[in-house]
Amino acid sequence: MSLGRLVRRHVGSHPVRAILTIGAVAVALFLFCFLRSIVTSLDAAVQESSSRRIITASAVSLFQSLPTTYLEAIEAIDGVESASRFTWFGGVYKEPSNFFAQFGTDPQTLMKQYPEIVIPEEQKQAWFNDRRGAIVGIGLAEKYGFKAGDTVPLLGTIYPRTDGSEWEFNIHGVYRSLRANVDEMTMYFHWPYLDESLENGTALGPRGTSVFLIRLADDYRGEDVSDAIDAYYAGGPQRTRTQPEAAFQADFVNMLGNLPTFLGMIGAAVLVAILFGVVNTMTIAARERMRTMGILKALGFPRQVPSRLYLMEAISFAALGGAIGMGVAWSTQGVFRSILGTQVPMYRVAPETFVWGCVICIVIGIVGGAVPAWNASRLHAVEALRRGA
Amino acid sequence: MAVIELQGVSKVYTKGGESLVVLDNLDMKVEAGEYLALMGPSGSGKSTILNLIGGLDEADSGTIRVGDVEVTRLDDADLTSWRARHIGYVFQAFNLIPVLTALENVELPLLLTPLGKAERRKQAEYALEIVGLADRMDHRPKQLSGGQEQRVAIARAIASDPTILLCDEPTGDLDRESADQVLELLKRLSTEFGKTVIMVTHDLKAGEEAGRVLHLDKGVVEHATTA
Repeated sequence: MSLGRLVRRHVGSHPVRAILTIGAVAVALFLFCFLRSIVTSLDAAVQESSSRRIITASAVSLFQSLPTTYLEAIEAIDGVESASRFTWFGGVYKEPSNFFAQFGTDPQTLMKQYPEIVIPEEQKQAWFNDRRGAIVGIGLAEKYGFKAGDTVPLLGTIYPRTDGSEWEFNIHGVYRSLRANVDEMTMYFHWPYLDESLENGTALGPRGTSVFLIRLADDYRGEDVSDAIDAYYAGGPQRTRTQPEAAFQADFVNMLGNLPTFLGMIGAAVLVAILFGVVNTMTIAARERMRTMGILKALGFPRQVPSRLYLMEAISFAALGGAIGMGVAWSTQGVFRSILGTQVPMYRVAPETFVWGCVICIVIGIVGGAVPAWNASRLHAVEALRRGA
Repeated sequence: MAVIELQGVSKVYTKGGESLVVLDNLDMKVEAGEYLALMGPSGSGKSTILNLIGGLDEADSGTIRVGDVEVTRLDDADLTSWRARHIGYVFQAFNLIPVLTALENVELPLLLTPLGKAERRKQAEYALEIVGLADRMDHRPKQLSGGQEQRVAIARAIASDPTILLCDEPTGDLDRESADQVLELLKRLSTEFGKTVIMVTHDLKAGEEAGRVLHLDKGVVEHATTA
């Protein structure tokens, strides 16, 4: 016999209520982890960007292509180690709902610029050697079942083929990413394949490239090289806007507007609601156990014991619910990475989120048990026995 | 020798702006090992006396001495600790904790002692044997009859071997047969185990079993009868 057993028996004496309370806490903690992870995953892409890379886009709009003739000039600017073309393709796989990112690029240059993209050497070489070749991220491969040797048909939306047919890309490899700034839900293919099709009239669409990805030479500052590039094209034919990779990523996050704040408010509201729920459950339990607390006091248990029992019970609810909620959040990361797809391609629950989850559980437990605990500490044994009768 | 002594004890309750004198300058002594019954009409102060002796309530004036301890001078924490060691309570409504088994209920007050787990269990089993319920240890209160519940409550009251048992209408909720068993048990605890038993009762039969009866009315002892 122990007081812990008494708490367990009390929790078990109303199984439906206990399950509902624990379930509510579990849902709240899962939602907290999920919503916070969306924000932290978006932030991670910014935080983990390389300071050795800058991106040049049109000063007018990201959706305005730049002339590919800029490539040679940019490569010649002091401090530029390499530059690659990078064009948003916007193709549809089978159905419009099967949307994922595809970029036409210069494969050899890209792989040197982005060492965090990891792919077996033989797959990489096969991609380099096939003009129609492409590689896909592991997340994309898992979602659609793509594998090396497959041919993926994509219907061009920005770049439709003149005969109305689909573009065909030969998958040569599946890559993984070592950092959050490169997601695993993207397909990369040869930019020249796209450009040649536009050149020979088998496809329609804007010429040029969406952006240039630039890797800096050692000992050069991004700001200096960016200024040099933008100054070079200040007089046209098309002005450029060059910024660090992190700032470029941040622009994408900013396109979502106040989403992080909005998600934070939803999460906070859910947690406050659940806190009220736990307080309500504990208040009902305290009313039902008035006599038990009177008995304990009459038997000679110190005034803090009844209070401690309520706190233990509330913390048990919060801990069990929290463990379940956080466990579900942890085990469903892959599922949500697939569901969220292009929107949050590197969705993952960060360790700090679990730490915050634990802190929230403790707060819910303590606050949830505090009201009945405070009342119990002031309860007079005779009064408790009378009111509990 | 008096083990319990009340001198000039008064208690007034205020309800709805009106004062109700429950005990009025009460003097009372109880000898060690005595089996005392307190009888009288409702509101005569019987239960209040038990609550004051057990430290569940505070007197407005007067002194209460139990053994060498002046209960009225103890603060709440000391009083709680003292009660756990010296007082066993038996209530009319049994007041067992419904989610615990008979054995666990009896073991509960032993959590306040320095006894280890095995010793606590052994002592609780012994208490249940004394009240004749060794075969009902794993039953929960709702699986027991009223008489059995009260005997479990008595086992709980004696588990930590207190010197004083305070019984508030212990037979009030029982049929005659069960009430007689409980009364016999209380008498045995007084005569065989030397416990000082103070019992509040309306039951004339219970009064007959006691060694002495104090008849109270309006907060004072009206008269006493001895067996």
